[in-house]
Amino acid sequence: MSLLRTDGLTKQFGGLVAVDEVSFEVDSGETRAVIGPNGAGKSTLINCITGALEPTAGTVEFDGQDITALEPHETVQAGVSKSFQTASIFPEMTVRENVEIAALASEHGSFSFDFLKRLSGFGAVHDITDRMLESVELLGDADVEAASLPYGDKRRLEIAIALASEPELLLMDEPTAGMSPDETAATVDLVEQLQEDLDLTILIVEHDMEIIFRIADRILVLNRGQVIADGTPEQVQESDEVQEAYLGGVEL
Amino acid sequence: MSGDRSGDATDVVPDGGTVTEETAGGSGGSALAGLRERDDFVVVAMAAALVVFPFLLIDILGAVGDVIGISIGGYSGLPSLVLIYGIIVIGFNLLLGYTGLLSFGHAAFFGSAAYAAGLFSQVVPSPILMVIAGTIVATLLAWPIGFVSIRRSGVYFAVLTLTFGQALYFYALGPGSWLTNGDNGFSGIEADGLFVGAVPLDAQLIPVFDSYTVMYAFTAVVMLIAVWVGNRIINSPYGLIFEALGENEERVEFVGLNVFRYKLMAFIISAVFAGVGGAMFAIHEQYIHPTTGLYWIQSGDFVIMTVLGGTGSLVGPVFGALVFEYVANVISGVSLPMIGSIGSMWRFVLGAVFVFIVWVFPRGIYGAFSDLAAMLNGGSGGDGDKPAAADGGERE
Repeated sequence: MSLLRTDGLTKQFGGLVAVDEVSFEVDSGETRAVIGPNGAGKSTLINCITGALEPTAGTVEFDGQDITALEPHETVQAGVSKSFQTASIFPEMTVRENVEIAALASEHGSFSFDFLKRLSGFGAVHDITDRMLESVELLGDADVEAASLPYGDKRRLEIAIALASEPELLLMDEPTAGMSPDETAATVDLVEQLQEDLDLTILIVEHDMEIIFRIADRILVLNRGQVIADGTPEQVQESDEVQEAYLGGVEL
Repeated sequence: MSGDRSGDATDVVPDGGTVTEETAGGSGGSALAGLRERDDFVVVAMAAALVVFPFLLIDILGAVGDVIGISIGGYSGLPSLVLIYGIIVIGFNLLLGYTGLLSFGHAAFFGSAAYAAGLFSQVVPSPILMVIAGTIVATLLAWPIGFVSIRRSGVYFAVLTLTFGQALYFYALGPGSWLTNGDNGFSGIEADGLFVGAVPLDAQLIPVFDSYTVMYAFTAVVMLIAVWVGNRIINSPYGLIFEALGENEERVEFVGLNVFRYKLMAFIISAVFAGVGGAMFAIHEQYIHPTTGLYWIQSGDFVIMTVLGGTGSLVGPVFGALVFEYVANVISGVSLPMIGSIGSMWRFVLGAVFVFIVWVFPRGIYGAFSDLAAMLNGGSGGDGDKPAAADGGERE
């Protein structure tokens, strides 16, 4: 069953077609990867799905609902959350508060008039926060200022924030960018663990082919905004077009 | 610090010593009860401060002034005036310090509430109803101004709010003269006493100390309500969200919160505080001129007071209001040997104080105090950006 489906999704910046009629599906429970050379339109595709960019044409459907025109916060409320490529956290707040704010958003919706209600009274928010901090192994650092975490921990905090929104679909934009090999390995383990524990569907953009071929169930390959391959890792590996896009048609 | 707190609580609640101790002892282990204790603490500490404030400002400083031969004591209306500005900057700081939005147009809400209260007094001179009327007008005005201004950020937001404020100023000065009496000023605002006129505002509460008037008590009660409400807000989901907005707006949108509506709420809430203060100002001064009510310098003064006091805490800006008004009203009247009368040079003095504070204590006067307190306590508690955390954080 497909959870996310794009149909003819297109984004034009002036004369440049960054995403060119991309139609693909993400099935419930799978790990779907998007790869492609620099400038292939991977990030633009993700931004069109989250609502950060408005597509020029085409539709995005999530769980049977048309989410094409939704604002980013509405998309999150619908069940699609995103972890950023650079750790997008609240540096001067504690690790716990960082996650709490996302848990709060999933508990009481995108807006509420509860400005005289004590935050300490939101039991469910604290439960979700603790659970997410535990699953990314940051519970011990809960009361530390987020800015003081090492880089790898910041990235895991970033993932915890995205998870605290209790998404059905998690979009991950290069979760291991800038990480050391050890941190990368730990993050990949974490992603696999989370998927199992939380029954998540993941759409991941990644440069590291090793990681992709290890965790992806299906891979979508973009080049210059267009889909040039879509299938299992084996199918993608054998595709001539993919070889050409990555190696620039060099005869081997 | 927790030692101070229990001391205050026992002082303020007579015969309640044992009860307080029992409650404190019984809830010591629970983090939730700890938060509640903290909530009360800020309000109780403010109440205690309000009781002694006029005595310190007028009687003690006045006595010191007599000894050194320079009149540094305040006059009897000054404590109320400080509190009125204090109320405004508590709200203004929710916008500037927490949400990170710099408005240069809050005189619009201050001044329109002042005029609304003045106009209302011509019909019903009840001070409480005047405050309510002024606040309603400021709130209604904040909605459209905020709705338009919030759509831009940074400098553009500041300039948009400035523009709206100045538009109102010129309206009050010219075309709106039929309402505001233009450049002649709106005079004859005479609020009746409290409780259907039964208690005149200038009546004295304590025979010897003439600064303890009914007006002061009225202002102090409104201040307490403002602190209580402000404290509830920063301990509510809004407190967390406002702070997050100040740090990383994009992330707030991407956790699923409606950034625009929360920023608008921060704007409106701060305008409510400015409105309450503006209406109180009209009652206090009994006169409003477009320059004191709506001019952009008034908006700028709110910014100066807030930064001077310290943006990182709920009540910090009140200290800024105190120093600002003290310099404006007392230091301006001081005459020094060699230098002569300070008079209208008070802005230079204020500028020097401002530069000194911002240079030496970037977290403002309150930040300097809490650092000092932390140092005396042996270095703990220095992490507190927020007063609640700084004041009631650790329990022994």
